[in-house]
Amino acid sequence: MFTTGFKFFFGLFGAFTAAALVYGYTTGGNHVGPISLGWKGGVGDHIGYGVLVGLAFVSLIVSLVLVSFRDADASAQARLQNLAEVLTDQPVAASFWPVVAAFGLGAAAVGLVLHPMVFVLGLALIFLSLIEWTMDAWSDRATGDRAINRELRNRIMAPIEIPVVGTLGVAVVVLAASRILLNVSKLEAVWVAGVVSALILGGAWLYASRPGLGRRLVRILGPVAALLLVVGGVLAAVAGEREFVHHEVEHHSDDTHEESGEPAVTEEGH
Amino acid sequence: MTLTESPVAESEAAADADGAAAPASPAETLGAPRGLAQPFMTNDAAQVGRLFVVTSLLLGLGAAVIGALLSLGRTDAVAPDDLFGGLNSYFRMWTLYRVSFVLLVVMPLLLGLALAVVPAQVGAGNVAFPRAALASFWSWLIGAVIMIASVLAGGGWGALDGVTGNESDAMALTLLGTGMVIVALLLGAIVVATTVISLRQTGMSLLDVPPFSWSMLVTAVVWLFSLPVAIANIVVIYADLRGRQAVAFGRPESPDIWLQLDWLVEQPAVYAMAVPVLGIVFSAVGKAVDARSSRPEAILIVVGLFGLLAMGGWSQDYFTAPQDLRDGLVYVAFGLAAVVPVVATAGGVGELVMRGSKTRDRLLSTPMLGAGAALKLLGAAALVGALRVIEPLDLLETSATWSVFHGVVAAGLIAGVAALATWSQLLLGPIQQRLAVGAIVLLGAGGGLLVLADLISGFIADDPDLMALALDGNAALNGVVLIGSLLVAAGLAAALLGAVSALRQRATAVSEPA
Repeated sequence: MFTTGFKFFFGLFGAFTAAALVYGYTTGGNHVGPISLGWKGGVGDHIGYGVLVGLAFVSLIVSLVLVSFRDADASAQARLQNLAEVLTDQPVAASFWPVVAAFGLGAAAVGLVLHPMVFVLGLALIFLSLIEWTMDAWSDRATGDRAINRELRNRIMAPIEIPVVGTLGVAVVVLAASRILLNVSKLEAVWVAGVVSALILGGAWLYASRPGLGRRLVRILGPVAALLLVVGGVLAAVAGEREFVHHEVEHHSDDTHEESGEPAVTEEGH
Repeated sequence: MTLTESPVAESEAAADADGAAAPASPAETLGAPRGLAQPFMTNDAAQVGRLFVVTSLLLGLGAAVIGALLSLGRTDAVAPDDLFGGLNSYFRMWTLYRVSFVLLVVMPLLLGLALAVVPAQVGAGNVAFPRAALASFWSWLIGAVIMIASVLAGGGWGALDGVTGNESDAMALTLLGTGMVIVALLLGAIVVATTVISLRQTGMSLLDVPPFSWSMLVTAVVWLFSLPVAIANIVVIYADLRGRQAVAFGRPESPDIWLQLDWLVEQPAVYAMAVPVLGIVFSAVGKAVDARSSRPEAILIVVGLFGLLAMGGWSQDYFTAPQDLRDGLVYVAFGLAAVVPVVATAGGVGELVMRGSKTRDRLLSTPMLGAGAALKLLGAAALVGALRVIEPLDLLETSATWSVFHGVVAAGLIAGVAALATWSQLLLGPIQQRLAVGAIVLLGAGGGLLVLADLISGFIADDPDLMALALDGNAALNGVVLIGSLLVAAGLAAALLGAVSALRQRATAVSEPA
């Protein structure tokens, strides 16, 4: 039913709410201000009232999370799922999220001094790690069966991870490929696009025709291709786009610019 | 229940038996990553402990080389300006040497030992939060890289000739790297403390916990009460440095940044990294002579007392006039009282030897030699610390400060080597005795020379103040300091060599199972 953690934090929620109401009315609150969060009437001292309401809100959220995950208590979850046996002291699974969190912290520290984008990237990595780490920690002890634990975790996280990773992957490919294509000459861009398309087609054909071999190849070539693409994209971005020469369309009148609208844009090959 | 009767002690003894294969922890047997992925994904705290130990020894060798160069700069052979390209650079390296030995060498070395040994001692399969332990190592390493790189790029903890624009950025990075290192160490300490408190085997009370585990619990508490003060210092300094005018405690034309943080490497805070030394000494000697104390609770009290006297967050004197704090009764009492637990430890060790087996092999074993050397150096440091707070001797703000520092650092390093020999199978693998003994002798001799030379320099210094301590002084004593620094560097090289060769043997044993 209600877990110990839920009872504790829900109790805190009640206590902070009561304290906020008392504080609000005793420091100048009127009408139903302290009850309606200031919608109808004053709440008294804003800072104290705000802190107490904030604490109440956080306690409520924590209590709901705890009751949803049964306090992360393996035996309680086992009872809920009618499992006969549960391992409460099982080893945690290997995870790379702690390292990602550490790199995120480092990036945030460096970015704080050097560049805001690096700082934001670091914060994003920390935030991502915390979510994944939390889910891993919960799922490790969800039941006594590691396979079920993994399935439980994937059931919650996969609907979020797959679209996010897919979107990021597409974004990185588009961004990196576009930087490369904009860096090389027009003719080379056609060649690059053609060769890459052919490689993707060939890889997909191999994967479909010989699944065993294909999987192994994808595992090896996939990361290599992704790395090459990202490195190429970064180098191309640093090098900049190829030079575009703006040719003005010839008109009979002298005031070409005003009358012709946008100038035609071509590029000069390298 | 006594310590000798605990099943943990038996299992530990079995694990340490000569030639026995390293025991596989539950984490190692269940889906543990292998190969290159291992350091990035491991779920076994013992692996993380090994990473801490080897990396800290490597960084220790680097710091010792810097120390030797600084000592060379004290002699007449080379002027500091020529050695590092200016007095400011010399100051940068001078501070890096001190901070490195505390935050990048001794503390992580002992933390790494704890991550590998403590779970086995308290009967747990792994530490309480293995992922946090991994995050602790990588955060520490990345913080260390940021810190060192920024110092080499012109940062550091202040500048003697004023902070310029570029230096300001590099210094901000140094501060953030330092903060990251401290946070990482705190995270590791929380992991160890939680393991001792929550994961003890059924029936083992805190009074039954082996001395090393108890000392690490005390150490974690001391760090948790002291190191956040340093983080607060760093936040204040950062706000000043970035020109926000939020606090404005520091003066950019002076080494004020260093003066706000130097309490970390001075007594009593410097003793915080020596608390585990007492635990290692008791454990190593007990194991060497195969004896247990008749009064284990006395050991816990002694270690706890030393931890209490190592609380140092209160002792920073930047925000008050130095004489208000350092001539105060509490500071003097802390300095004098620190000798008591070290002397009591010597007494406890004597009792263990009396009760144990006194064969020549046991008395001259590597752990015994290491424990003896570490205790002597810690005792010397505590004694100098006691002399330092006696006002008529006028040793405060002299090189006696660094005498204490060097004594504690050398004791911590030697205790680390002794621990590697004592719990070889739990840690890296069987360490070569010749290398371990060589490391202990070199570190002991080097540390002893540094303690002695800095103490005598403290007595004869005329106008001591910060950098002047390192650049003036008696020529002969400066030569002794150089020899001591070289011996410490050689000792660390021997320890690192022993650790790496032990790891190689372990890897071979794992890849070729019987």
